[in-house]
Amino acid sequence: MLEVSRLRKVYGADPQAAPAIDDVTFSVADREFVCILGSSGCGKSTLLRCLSGLIPATSGEILLHGDPVLAPPKDMAFVFQDYSRSLLPWMTVARNVSFPLRYKGVSKEDAQKATEEALEAVGLSGRQKRYPWQLSGGMQQRVAIARALAYRPKILLMDEPFASLDAQTRFDLEDLLLDIWRRFDVTVLFITHDIDEAVYLADRVLVLEAPAKVALDVDIPLPRPRDQLKTKQLPEFAELRTRLFSAIQREPAAL
Amino acid sequence: MRQPVKDKGGPPSVAVPETAAPGARAARRPATGAWPAKRADLGIKLAGVLVVLAIMELCSRLGVLPRDWFPPVTSMYAELFRLIVEQPLWVEIGRTLRAWAVGIGLAALLAVPCGVLLGSIPLAYRMARIVIEFCRPIPSVALIPLAVLVYGTGLEMKVFLITFATFWPLLFQTIYGVQDVDPVARDTARAYGLGPSARFWVITIPSAAPYIATGLRIAAAIGLVLGVTSELVGGAPGLGRAIAVAQSAGNVTLMYALIITTGLLGLTLNSAFAAVERKALRWHPAQRQEVAR
Repeated sequence: MLEVSRLRKVYGADPQAAPAIDDVTFSVADREFVCILGSSGCGKSTLLRCLSGLIPATSGEILLHGDPVLAPPKDMAFVFQDYSRSLLPWMTVARNVSFPLRYKGVSKEDAQKATEEALEAVGLSGRQKRYPWQLSGGMQQRVAIARALAYRPKILLMDEPFASLDAQTRFDLEDLLLDIWRRFDVTVLFITHDIDEAVYLADRVLVLEAPAKVALDVDIPLPRPRDQLKTKQLPEFAELRTRLFSAIQREPAAL
Repeated sequence: MRQPVKDKGGPPSVAVPETAAPGARAARRPATGAWPAKRADLGIKLAGVLVVLAIMELCSRLGVLPRDWFPPVTSMYAELFRLIVEQPLWVEIGRTLRAWAVGIGLAALLAVPCGVLLGSIPLAYRMARIVIEFCRPIPSVALIPLAVLVYGTGLEMKVFLITFATFWPLLFQTIYGVQDVDPVARDTARAYGLGPSARFWVITIPSAAPYIATGLRIAAAIGLVLGVTSELVGGAPGLGRAIAVAQSAGNVTLMYALIITTGLLGLTLNSAFAAVERKALRWHPAQRQEVAR
């Protein structure tokens, strides 16, 4: 459903400058859960911003259902890492979830229904009238996820969405995300620097090397549904995480 | 120039557990103990005022200060009370406030669109920069002779001066507000398919609102100063001219009563603006009182 070929991004006008993304090629199948794993500064976020159509690529091609992505597509939703800035403080939780729908051409009743459903899916029904800053960090990111769900996307892009949450909240939200992924039939492209998180969530992990280039494409054949305790105890889990860990570790040595 | 404090955003440094009490519940706890504390605070403040008034009264009565130029505070307030009961004071206040309201309204109508334009188009801002830097430092009172010449000594003259003086803080606050839109909020709106005009109404204007509100509060204070000054110097009817008339009649007590009136008027206007700001911008980090972090 998503095909990226020979993607390259250089910031600024000079084409000879060091690229943020060098040469990225990969594809994501329908309803697949793909994690992009990379250490900080390897161009993960730039890649995701290109894929979402927020910034133009220098060269290469991004096809979503065969159509080139030039602007944010209507069936793509984005969840940012910085939830406290991505949620608008002057809007209530419900408004934060529903405001994009109006611009997508959804009727008022449908928007309200979608908002209620999405908030229920993330376990926040009954908090519609609160303001985001009255909620804890984990709940704020749930609101941002609800906003993405209410948008009814075919593909969900997530830029290190749980990186600034504490461990327990992160585990809860990982399970919530897996549950949502199954129930809402979406494709997820999830960026993270956390190896365990990538292995736990994904069908496939792409390891990114700086400047962004796909260094490794690993299938994660762990059984589903996954469980924070049981899955992480499997010997295969340990094997996969070791493999990815050594792949990530190799890069600083090369610098 | 005072600006609202900008929330840097980002995650709270201490991880908040999922079950954290939402703001309203957390707020009630300190609020139960806050009432007596608030009252005591108010009492201390009022006591301070009374001490100062008592010292002033004594100084005047005992002749420490010349009584001719410094009548006892009690007689000033007696005079003020007489003015309040007899209509003329309200007429004067009305005259001053009318020019104040029209002037600030006009300034806002001009400054906010200009500020939005300059704040959102960098080229326009760079082009306007020198013109603004030249016009802004001109003390508005220096324009009083010109204003009297062009508009006479009536309402128009006052409105012109108040508009000129309050245009600048409103313009700058609007520019800062528009330039200070959070890039993540803007990206969010863009990622969800909001076009430029939708982003303007949904993101830019609410982000700039706290700055504009601060601009209005500053403008309210400056506008009153300019109103009274133009009445004093330019002779337009209002509180300022009433002070000048009392002076030429040698009625010192009346003068003081009128001066106190202008002070109280300024205080009232400022508190009113601050209260509206608090209510309308409850969501802004600088106004959030109920959230416990």
